[in-house]
Order: sequence, then C-alpha cells, then structure tokens
Amino acid sequence: MPAMQIASNSASPLAVVSLRVFPVREPVSHRSYTVVKLTTRSGISGYGECGAASAADVAKATAVVQGKPATAVEVIRTQLAPVANMQAAVNMALLDIVGKHTKAPIYRVLGGPTRNKARVLTALSGNSDEALVEALKVSAARGHRAFMVQLQEGQAAHPNRIAKTFDKLRAAGGENVDFALDGAAALSPGVAGTICDALERFHLLWFDEPCPSLNIAALQKLALERVTPLGFGRSIHSGVGFQNLLRDGALDVLRPDIARNGITQIRRMAAMAETYYTAVAPYHDGGPIASAAALQLAASLPNFFIQQIPAPQAEEDIRMRASITGASIEAVKDGYASLPTGPGLGITVNEEALAQYAERAA
Amino acid sequence: MKRRELFTTAAGLFAAKTALGGIDCGCAFSPPQNALGGDAFHSVGSKIKITNVKVFGVSLTPTSDRPYVFVKIETDAGVIGWGEGTLEGKAAAVMACVNDFREFLIGSDPMQVEHHWQSMYVHSFYRAGPVIGSAISAIDQAMWDIRGKVLGLPVYQLLGGPVDPKGVRGYYHARASSPAELRELRQTAIQQGVSCFKTGIPEYYEFIETHAKIKRAIKHMEMLRENLGPDLDIAVDFHAKTSPSVASVIVKEVEPLRLLFIEEPCPPENVKAMARIAKRSTTPIATGERLIAAYGCRELIEMGVVDILQTDINHVGGITALWKVAAMAEASGIVMAPHACEGPIGAIASVHVDAAMPNFLIQEICSGVEPGPNEKVWAEWMGFPIMRMVDGRFPLPTKPGLGFDLTEDALKKYPFGGTRPMARVFHHDGSVAEW
Repeated sequence: MPAMQIASNSASPLAVVSLRVFPVREPVSHRSYTVVKLTTRSGISGYGECGAASAADVAKATAVVQGKPATAVEVIRTQLAPVANMQAAVNMALLDIVGKHTKAPIYRVLGGPTRNKARVLTALSGNSDEALVEALKVSAARGHRAFMVQLQEGQAAHPNRIAKTFDKLRAAGGENVDFALDGAAALSPGVAGTICDALERFHLLWFDEPCPSLNIAALQKLALERVTPLGFGRSIHSGVGFQNLLRDGALDVLRPDIARNGITQIRRMAAMAETYYTAVAPYHDGGPIASAAALQLAASLPNFFIQQIPAPQAEEDIRMRASITGASIEAVKDGYASLPTGPGLGITVNEEALAQYAERAA
Repeated sequence: MKRRELFTTAAGLFAAKTALGGIDCGCAFSPPQNALGGDAFHSVGSKIKITNVKVFGVSLTPTSDRPYVFVKIETDAGVIGWGEGTLEGKAAAVMACVNDFREFLIGSDPMQVEHHWQSMYVHSFYRAGPVIGSAISAIDQAMWDIRGKVLGLPVYQLLGGPVDPKGVRGYYHARASSPAELRELRQTAIQQGVSCFKTGIPEYYEFIETHAKIKRAIKHMEMLRENLGPDLDIAVDFHAKTSPSVASVIVKEVEPLRLLFIEEPCPPENVKAMARIAKRSTTPIATGERLIAAYGCRELIEMGVVDILQTDINHVGGITALWKVAAMAEASGIVMAPHACEGPIGAIASVHVDAAMPNFLIQEICSGVEPGPNEKVWAEWMGFPIMRMVDGRFPLPTKPGLGFDLTEDALKKYPFGGTRPMARVFHHDGSVAEW
C-alpha cells in the first residue's frame, strides 16, 4: 500500500511563489492604499489591499507566504499577526486565489451567502451644517441611505448644536435615512454621555469611537447609563480587544478595519460577537479591492450589519476606483451594494490602472 | 479481511463487557450497572407499578407545527395519568425520547416522581436540553396526575395550595391590530373581567436597527396603551427578536407606558447580555420559556436580571421543575408568569403549580377573549371549557390529580401529522431573522 500523500507545501500548484505591492493614490482626495498581489505556482493571481506598507513589512510578508499553499490561510494569518496591514492584504489575496481555484466567490467558499446584498454606510464630509446637508443630498442621490457624520470643530462641548445639525440632516434626508456619529476617539466618556442624551431621539445607528476604547472602566459610564449603541474597533487588530469590550458590556457594534484585519480575522471576531447578539460593521477608508473583500465578508457572516465604503465626491476619484476593479463594485442602490458573483473577490484587477494611479515617492 | 477481523474483535470486546455487567461507554470509565433501581425501594415504595407508557402525537390540523405530544402512563392499580411534552417543531424527537425512558419506567413506582425525575435528568449524562426536558416534562406530569388520583387530591393541594381559592389570574393574547379593534377588545375585557393582555412587537430586527423601525415599534406600543386604556395590564413580548442594543433603545422610550412586563428582550443564551437591558430599564423584564430545569434559571436569578420568570411546564421538566424554579425565584423576590402555548394538559398542569406559588403573578394562555378552534377541541376532549377564564381567572379543577378525564379514543380524530418545522423567517436581504 502506498504511503499516504502528505501535502507538500512548496510542490503544491497553489504554493505562493511571488508577492508584489502596488502603492496607489486617488488623484483628488489623495487617499492612498497598497495593493498586494500574490501569484501561485499554477499561475493564479490573487489581490488584496491595505494601507501604507513599509519595505520591512513587505519583506516579512514575503518570507511568510513564500512556498505556502494559498489554502494555508490560518497559518499565514497567525504568522503575519505582528504586521496587521500586510496580514489583512495577504489574507484577501489568498482567499481570492482559493476562490479562483475553486471557481467560487469567497463567500461560497466560506459557507455563504448568508444574505443577497449588503447594507452600506458612507461618511459625510463637511465642516458646517450646510456642507453636511449638501454632502448628504449628493450621496443620497447616489443611492446611499446610511451616513457617518463627523463632529464639527468645537461642537463637542455643545450637544444642542449637534442636535441641530441632526435636525437639519433628518429634514434633508427624511425618516428613512440613518446616521452614525463619529467621535474620532477624541471625547471623554462624560462629554460623550451628554451627547448621547441630546441625540437619543434621532436613534443613531450607533455612536462610533466616542472615546478611546482602551480604558473600559472609564467607558462604563457611557455603556451602563446610556442606551445609544456604541461602536469601537478602528484601532483593534485582534480578537482580544473585542472580547474585553464584549465581556464588559461596552460594545454594540464591532468595527474592525477590513484593511487591517482581512476577511478571516474578522470572521473570527464575528463568531465571538454572535454570542453577545452583537453586530459587525467593518470600518473601511481605503480602496475598492478591500471593498470587494468586505462585500465577500458581509455575505459570509450571519451577524453582519453594514459595511462602511468610502464614497469620494470627485468624479476622478470615482473613476479611478472603478477602473482598478474592472467595473464599480461599490455602486449603491437604496442603501445596499450588490454582491459580486465572479470567482474569488469577484473583480478583475486592472494592473494598468494600478500603474496609472501609482503613488510616486514624494 | 483485516477490517472484518477488527469488527469481530470490537464486537467480542463489547459482548464480554456487557456480560460482566459493565457499560461500554467507549472511554476508560465504565460505571457498574448495579441491580438497585426499583428493587432498592421494595420495603418503602407504594407497591403500585407502572405497566405501560404510551406516547401520542396529536395534530389538530394536518400541517400543525406543534402537534401535541401527550404521554399516558398506566399502572397495575388501574390508575392512569396524562402528561404533555409538546415541543414546537420537534414532536417526533420528543416522542422518541419518551420511548427511550420507557424501559426504565415500566415496573417503577409512579409515586416516586422526585426520584425518577432525578434519574431521568442525572442519568441522561449530558443533562437536558429542550428535547430531553420536554420528554421528562410529559412523564413528570403524568406521574403527578397518578399521584393525585392515588392520594385523592388535586395536584395543587399536594403542592400545598391553593394560595387563592378563586383560581389563578391569567391573560389572553390581544388579537387586535388597529386602534378600533383594541378599543373593542377593551370593552370585551371589561365585560369578562379580564385584566391583562399580551401582544408582540411587530417586524423582525437586526442586531442594530434603523430609526424608522425603532420608531414603528415604539408607536405600536403607544397605540396599545392608548386604546386598551390606563387600567388594563399590558405585556409586550419581544420574542427574542431584538438584540440587547436595540431592545435597550426601545425599552427606555416606552417606560412611560408602564407595561406589566416586556418579555424576552433578547435571546436566551447570554444572561449577561440580557443584564445590559435590565440595568438600563425600569420596565419589568420577563423571560424563561426556553429554559430547562432550575439549573437553566440560576444565573438569571443570581445576577438579578429578571423580574418575572416564565418557564414552561412542557419543557422545563414538568410540575417538579416548575415548582423548583418558583421556589428559587421566590428567594430573590422574582414572580412567576408561566408560559403556555401548547396543549391543554400542560396548561392545566401549570395552573395547579401556579395555585401553590406564593410568588405567582399571572398565567399565560395562547388564546384570545373568544375561544378559537383549538380551545373548542380541548373542551370536546375534556368535557369542560378547559383554560377559559372566569372573571379574569382560571378556575381550579376539583377532581384528584390534574382534574380531567381524557380517553385515547378522543384523540383518534386528530392523528399525528408528522413533525413540522417552526416558522423560518428572513430579513429583506435574505439573512436569518429571529421571530
């Protein structure tokens, strides 16, 4: 009887043989991100995306993925944990390869789809009520129904002024739009609590990063006394941070950054959150490849609520994002994005566009 | 060839072990099968023995998702007992589980209900979830029915009741959806002496919800209070449709409505999660219909999460377990409002336990002010309008045991239509919703 075949990593057709990075930048917003490309021995390419990556990060990631089969997602995730950004991008790229190899969208590989479309959140920018109202109208006309609103300068100390802003936004958007408030982790729990009181009648989807999330005891003032849902996670890159918040009843929405965690890691965080009846709403302020990854993730989770997707106002930026992924996968209709249906991430990355929008060293 | 040898050897080992009286548990730990059990009580038992255990699936409509699971225990004294273990959506599983207990029950003394309860629960090793819990519930109720008949007393008297001879206060479901219907319901309630209604919140909820949906839930509850009036008690069942995040927002806003309670504001697995709602609300919180045995309620009671427990006599472990939950709850100032949304046997068994609870609040029946088709069948079976209130209360039966006569013949019109799953509901993006 022949000896059982042991999966030999480097001889596998799915073994990763190269890793390339493409730093790109949006022409108007100057939002920049790094596209990561992995290629296997069999010639399948997979793409991922993260924020800025240093040469050292890239070298570390290359050393870890080299020769490993693209299916070794968990092994690679663990070994790349210290390099959050590359871990995230590599994870998307690996799953893109697995999807292409199996000719299935990633959500199907992962046991989905759990839904047939994904609710989308987008940030409104503007430092006056008028600017915010205008931004809301533009985004609403593009199909958006849920908006992240940033506090305006000097507003934090005046909760009634914030309420006035929301009165205007509500009047402009009607009863069927929704808002989350971005505290940018810059408030004290006391101030955040006063803002919750002033805004209770608006039924915010949640108050995002009202204050730093490291001091959970300080957060309790907010979590135990107010009913406004709290979202944290932009700076959390491991399950531990979320577990601490969930255990102490201080978290209603998990907001891991798709570009700093990747698909697999957020699925693990979501699995834990399910047992607290808590939703996952990944943060995202990068490019369209990570948006595609986020949509794949959304359709693999039972407790997904909404995906933040940047919606640049400038036509040039919008064009760039669409050209990178072959076509726009970020279009929103009545508050929802469609799920990609092609294999892997469901996009065809256009490397000419990556070259065209390459971020040049300053 | 080698595989065959392996099987032979394994079978041989198993045979050798059982011949020696051991149990092959597949581990290194084989407890001896001692000969005690029934014989250990030879000198102190009642001399009555169980001769047969029959289980019936009863479907009032061929496609019912909750065929009743009734158990009939027969004894050599000629006394029989009925119990119910209806488990919505899982009838056949409970029926199979009752039969798993059959061999152990036959020849046992039906008067030793506490002892047999312990054996069914403890010796099930994995403890009881809803299937085992419902099977134990049915067997337990049937034994109590027999015990009452043998001792010549209604079960509530065996339990030390009644606390109130006028019966136990109950509530119907408010089957009304418009303000006009609710105002009419109020008039009927006043005429009938009914003092409380329960209804559910509309729609399905994601873990975070939109302003529009939260508003609709609140408006719905305001409509109930406005039209049912200030003097009727109103309970609102969230049915675990909401997360702690969403429930907390809604509950805070309906505090001025002074509801009797809100029920299952989040699903039952995470007690700390429910505590988040309780800590931020002054409206009493009720839960427990999905919990099994007093063990299942301990953490809720200990953490001060609930004001009202609603364990269901058809799942919690019958009369024995419902009574224990109430006893433990009393020590923490928690009152009881048992759930009843299945058949008439469990419902009336619940009334018996209620009547003996010093910390009783109210008894549910999933019925309206007008009896529906199910209640008409029940009356036909039992010969009296079982589980219909008089002046806002369920009257106490006066006959020994559970206080009704039921024949197998009466059930024959409603043969078992098979297990049907409970409702499967989805959000508008196709994802799974709680209902």
